[in-house]
This record gives sequence, structure tokens and C-alpha cells, in this order.
Amino acid sequence: MRSPVLPLTWHLARASGRRGLQSQLLAAGAAAVGSFLLLLMIAAALGAGARAGHTTWRTPDAVSAREATAVQATTTTYVRQGPVTVVNLARLPGRGQTPAPPGLSHFPQQGQVYVSPALAELLHKLPAAQLADRFPVVSSYGTIGAAGLASPDELVAVIGRAPGDAAVSKAAGEQNYYDDGLTERALVSGFSGSKADVFTGSDQGTVLLGVVLLVMPVVVLASAAGRLGAARREQRLAALRLAGATPRQILAMTAFEAAGVGAAGATAGALAYMALLPALAEIPYGVGTWYTGRLWVGLPWLAAVVLTVTALITVSAVTMLRQVATSPLGVAQQANPRRTRAIRLLLFVAVLGYIWATTGDSGQLKPRQLLALLALFYGAFWLFGPWVVDRLGRIVGRRARRPATLLAARRLSDDPRAVWRTVSGLVLAGFVAGFFSVSTLDFDGPSHRDQVGVITANAADARHTATQARTVLRQAGVTATVTVTSEDDYDSLLGGVDGVIAHVSGGQHRIDTGVTALTRLRSGRYPFTQEYVSASDDIVIARVATVSTATLVLSFLVAAASAGLTAAANVLDRRRMYGLLRLAGTPLQVLDGARIRETVIPLAVLAGGTTAMGAFGAMQLNKAAGTTINTSGVIQLVICLAVGTLAMLAAITGSRPLLRKVTEGPAQTAD
Amino acid sequence: MSTVLAGSGLVKKYGSTTALAGVDVEVHERDSLAIMGPSGSGKSTLLHTLAGIVRPDDGQVLLRGERIDNLGENKLSALRRKRFGFVFQFGQLLPELPAEENVALPLMLEGMPRREAVARARRWFTPLGLDGLELRRPGQLSGGQAQRVAIARALAGEPDVVFADEPTGALDQRTSTEVVQLLTFATRETGAALVMVTHDADVAAHCDRILQVRDGRISGHSQYTVA
Repeated sequence: MRSPVLPLTWHLARASGRRGLQSQLLAAGAAAVGSFLLLLMIAAALGAGARAGHTTWRTPDAVSAREATAVQATTTTYVRQGPVTVVNLARLPGRGQTPAPPGLSHFPQQGQVYVSPALAELLHKLPAAQLADRFPVVSSYGTIGAAGLASPDELVAVIGRAPGDAAVSKAAGEQNYYDDGLTERALVSGFSGSKADVFTGSDQGTVLLGVVLLVMPVVVLASAAGRLGAARREQRLAALRLAGATPRQILAMTAFEAAGVGAAGATAGALAYMALLPALAEIPYGVGTWYTGRLWVGLPWLAAVVLTVTALITVSAVTMLRQVATSPLGVAQQANPRRTRAIRLLLFVAVLGYIWATTGDSGQLKPRQLLALLALFYGAFWLFGPWVVDRLGRIVGRRARRPATLLAARRLSDDPRAVWRTVSGLVLAGFVAGFFSVSTLDFDGPSHRDQVGVITANAADARHTATQARTVLRQAGVTATVTVTSEDDYDSLLGGVDGVIAHVSGGQHRIDTGVTALTRLRSGRYPFTQEYVSASDDIVIARVATVSTATLVLSFLVAAASAGLTAAANVLDRRRMYGLLRLAGTPLQVLDGARIRETVIPLAVLAGGTTAMGAFGAMQLNKAAGTTINTSGVIQLVICLAVGTLAMLAAITGSRPLLRKVTEGPAQTAD
Repeated sequence: MSTVLAGSGLVKKYGSTTALAGVDVEVHERDSLAIMGPSGSGKSTLLHTLAGIVRPDDGQVLLRGERIDNLGENKLSALRRKRFGFVFQFGQLLPELPAEENVALPLMLEGMPRREAVARARRWFTPLGLDGLELRRPGQLSGGQAQRVAIARALAGEPDVVFADEPTGALDQRTSTEVVQLLTFATRETGAALVMVTHDADVAAHCDRILQVRDGRISGHSQYTVA
């Protein structure tokens, strides 16, 4: 005989009326947001990796002198405080052909200059004395294609040189600690290197850190979607159970309905991601905006996300109904409080102890271990949260004097997991805020913002170069004081290296002009500025700052969306009771006040707690990673929490008109 | 006996359907009035109109001589809370609150301190046969017990009138009889009047008077001897 489950599910879903449809639309909407955000996170992580992969050719892939066909010297110069990667290439005489670098159709001939589209635009925009004069004079520039670029905004030049040119000489290679990742020279036979450049190499790891912190709020959102309309579904299915439906049929019906709604929503989210790809590609991160194709996750990932979100919603809905299957009367009458056990506290303390021990004196941990610890900490808090809500409900319940507070407290201890789901987004976002505010690395090194430095071979050369520098700077119209540095001058831009420093006055365009003028000294290297010296630190700080801001904003948005959805779902699920209470004269303000307190009470306690925990976790991580902490992040933390709390309250308050509407008429049909 | 509640010339229309077509009704102190009629006759609309839940299109509702049908929503809401009690078919108890707090809630809403409100609520448990159930939640009570808690809640605020809308609709015959006996007895003891909508003649027979409603009009009026 054909199973009645599917047709019956379809019939009941259709017969659920306008309110049922509202719940299903809300659930589908949450599924759409969840799948969109998951795809966005995967796209950012994969895209960051993909674009780092397009920079590996710039790091010379050293081969032996016998195998070498060319010499490659990659370096970096700065204009308007932004990096320009310059790849100097020279064919070695009497050797075989060298393949074309990515983005070029052939190996550049001596005197040819290829530039990225963004650099071409900047060359056109800025006076030659500020940028173009740093490169060989050509009648026209060739263009580097997307295959050789990480971002459409990247500034890259490839210059064909003579083998004896100073720009590809040994002097053009790495000489100091600050050259690491910015300047490197080697004999090569191709461009098959695997080391990403310094500007994109850390991007994927930083994005993954944000993804770990964001996954849980997004999962919460999807789970909240699965629970939308839970009470309505519970009542309906409990009645069916009482009428003789088997537990398997009940669960199958729930799974079919939730999966249908979830799949529809998740697919909508995936379609939105596809439609918005061009717009998403315009969001700058690291080296700039994205090539659209690199944010495309591919069909397998797309399908995996749709299936995952659908599965999450289905599992969430089915888990909610386990009690219907086992105890129909219990759920039909809401008999059993969904209490929590002290084992949650014990597990949480155990995990904290483990993290403390692991990060205490065991030396530096690998990034993957740190991420695993972070995930473990997150999971532990997920177990701990409902227990705290339960205890909080009991404590407040004993002391409550006002009806709204009493109602809220009883609701907290009646179903602490449901309340936890409502507030968990913001509570965990508080953890994220605490984590990033404290963990943001803070390097307070000396600043030499107005200086341009030129390295020389020795002290005598430095004195000669200083004379030349004064001349070329004067000719370029740059007002500067030129000094000679020695090995004893550690507190200078050159950090204890023989050379010349020009103290330029007049702002950034004067510094750029000074760099360009001093390039003419032909030392084989570009003169450099503060940006070059502090590049590796600045890049890490900038990436962490960007990811932390994005993570915070998304966390709070997701948290507010979860809270708003859950609040709306609760109103719809409890509308009969709310309606009858209001008919009996209970003021709307009391009902609304109870709803707000139900969120505010656990938020006030837990958000504070998790923020402290986040700070604790970050301090432990910093300790393990051997870095310093940023104590000035406290203000940012307070602002983040205040804004997040307001957003969440606004989201809950957003369902007030719904509460008013469902309680304004007689609850029972007037006959 | 003086008149507590009176409706005169009550008219209520829902679109083209006339739910009440000029109904006159009076409820006296300690009076219990059952409103009966077939589905769609207008009996629930009459109860809701008398209770200030539905505003009549025409006619007046007077509570102890004062007109209430023209009051604003906030005043009506306060009036329902202070002067009326309600018992519905099911679902009016808050599932999270234990029985005693469900009963105490209207008192707390009126500003009574919680301790006093709960103590006063507990007084109702013995007369209504709810001893030992004070801390049980609605889901842990039988249907009859839950209705008795609802009755206690309706009476806890010492209202002028208790409105009951199919209070036994979800109960079996035996429990229905127990619940309606308690309802009529308890309201009379407190001096409140009772207005009850029911489709069950046996339940209605426990009231002093029965009002038959058909097509929005009073079609019959029976009076029993008050015990």
C-alpha cells in the first residue's frame, strides 16, 4: 500500500492557513539568509586562497645556475602609501626560452614594461615625477592579464631588463629583515613557485578565523528556522499521534515539511548569492576588490550548502518533535519543563581547564590547533548557555515582583534551550567582540612617516649618495633634509644599515616625488618608506581588523535576525494564549514586557559573561601565539555590545505589531 | 436583586451577517445565566459584547448603571481585568506558571505584592478541590483540574461578573458536571454573577436562567428556582 505520509504532509501544509504560511515563509527566509551567508563565507575563504594562488609566480622559484634561463628580482615600491609589486625579469644570454609569466603572452623583452590595469590608470592619473619615472621610459605599456593578478585593484609591473641591469643584480635581492616577502631575487627557469606574496598570503587564514567564529551564529539561524512554527506543528502532530499515527510517520511528516521549506529557502539563498556575485566582488578585502569568477564557489559547494542548510533545518525540526513521538500527551499539554543538568557545567569547566592547560606553558601552537581550541571553546559555551539560562530563570523567578518579570523568569526555566537559541547569537557575538577586541595585535614600533631611505654598500658610498640625493631632490622640487645613517643608527628607517635618509616635508605627494627622484640613483633597489619597513606587521593588523569588523557586523546582523525570527515565531505559536490573556484584561504592555525581559535578562548576564570569556580566550591565544594584546579595544567592545543589544531589541520589538494584531480580536470565532 | 449588567438593543453585524439583531438582557447579582443556541446563532457574540470584548454597532451595555460600550480600549481592558473574570474552553492558563501563580496573576496585575497575591490565590484551592496541586503546571493537570484552576483565577479578583465561554466544551460528561457545579457554586458564594455560553443543556440546567438565542435574537427564556 502506498505510504500516506507524503500526501498527508502536503495536505496539512496547504491547510495550515495564512498563519501557517507566515511561519513557513519566515522559516524559508531564515534558510535563505543562512545559505547565503554560508556561501558568502565559503566564497571568501576559497576566493582568498584562489587569489593568493595568482601571486605565487612573483616569488622567484630558484633553480641552479646550470638550469636557469632567466633572472627574476621581485621588489615593492609604495605610492600613495599603497604597494606596487615590481617584477624585474632578464633573459640569460645563451640559455633556452623561459615561459611567459602568468598574465603575459610572452616573456618580456628588454625595455618592455607591462602593468596591471589599476597601475595603468594610476600612471595616467599621477604626475610622472611621482610614479612613472620609477620605471623605464616606454612609448606604451603592455597589460598584465587577470591570470597574473590577485585583484583588479592590484598595482603590479613586469619589467624586461638587460642581464647586467642593477635592478636584477645581486644587490637587488633580500638584504634585511624588512625585505622578507617584499624583495627577493633568484635565477629561474619558469614561474611555477608556490609561495603566495606577502599581501595575500595570510588572507585565507584570517578569513577562516572569521568563518569559525561565524559558523555557529549562522547554524543558530538555520536551527531557529527549523523551529519556527514548532508549537503549531507539535499540536497538530501530537493530535495525529493520539489519533494513531506511528512515531515514524510523525517524524517523516515533520522531516518532509521542514525539508521542503528548508530546501526552498536554501535554494533562494543560493540564487541570491549567484545574482549578487558581481556586487559581492566589489567589496574590497586585502589587496582590493575581487575578480567575480574567483568568488564563485562551484556547483559542488553550492549543492553542499543547500543540502547542509536543508539538513540543519530538518534535523532541528525533527529533534524538536522527538517528544511527540515518545510522549504525545506530554507535548500536547506541554507537561514537561525542558530542564538542563549540571553535567553541562562540569563539561564547560573541564573544557576551560583543558584550554588553560594547553595554552599555558606549552609554547607556541600551530594555527590549526588554535582554531581547534577556539571551536572547542565555542562548543563548550554552547553546552553551558542553556544551563545558565535555566538557573537564571529559577533565581529571578524566586525574586520576581512584577508579573512581566515573573512570566519571563518562568519562561526561562521552562524551556532554557529555546531561550538560549534566541540570545545565543548575540551572546556568541559578544564572545567574538571580546575575542577580537583583545586579540587585535598591537605593534607600536617607531614611526618614520616622512622619511625616504636609500641603502648603500658602505659608509663612503653613503656620503657620496647623500650628495647625489640632495641634487636630485632639489631638481625634483622636493624640500628635504638628507642625512647619512650608519650601523649605529638603529632607531632610523634603515635600522642600522649604511645608507641615506631624506626627511621630506610637504605631505604624501612630496614623499612619492622624493621616492621617484631617488630611484634615479640606480642603486638597483627602490628607495623605501615606512610602509615598506612595517609592511608585514601592517598587513596582519589590517587583515585582522577587516575580518574582525566584518565578523562582528555579520554576527550582530545574524544574531538580530535570529532573535527577530524567534520572537515572531513565538508570537505566532502562542497567539491563542496571548489572545485569551488579553481578552481577560492583561495589558499588552505586560505581555510585551515579558517577551522583552525574557531576552534582556539572559542577555545582560550571558553577554557580559561571554564577553569576558572572549577576552579570556583571546588572552590565552595571544599567550600561546607569543604576541601582545591590545588593551585599547575595550571601547570598541562596549560600542559593539551596545549596538548589538539595541539591534536585537529592535528586532524583537519589530514583532510587537504582530503581537498586537494576533491579540486584538476575539480569540474564538464569534457565533 | 439589583441589576449588575444590562444590554439593551444590542446590534452587531459582521459584514452582511447579523450576529445580534437587537438583544435585551439583564444580569442580576448572584444571578447565573446560560446562553444557548445553535452554531452561528450569536451566543458568543452576545457574551463578548456584554464583556466589553466586542463593541456593539448599536445599543448599550451598562455595568451597575454605567455605560461601558463606549469606553476606550485601555479603559475596557482595565475594566475586564478588575470587574470581570473569564473562563474559556481551554488554553487560557500560562503553561510556564504553576497553578498558584496562574491564579495569582490577575491580582499581581492589579498591583498586589506577589506574596500576598499567591497567598490569596491559595485560598481557592481547597474549595475547588485543588489541594496539593498548587505547584503543578497546567500541562501536569487533567482537563477538569485545569478548568478549576481557570475558575479560581476568574474569581480571585472578586469580580462583579464571571463570563464563561463553553467552559466544559473539552471535558467529559462527569467532569463537566463537576466543573459547572463548582463554577456556579463559587460565583454565587463570592456574590458575582455568571454569564455562560454553552451548547450542553445539562450544563445550562445548573444556571438560574437560560437564554435561548437564534439568528441574533432571544428566542426563549427559561427560569429555574434558585436553590
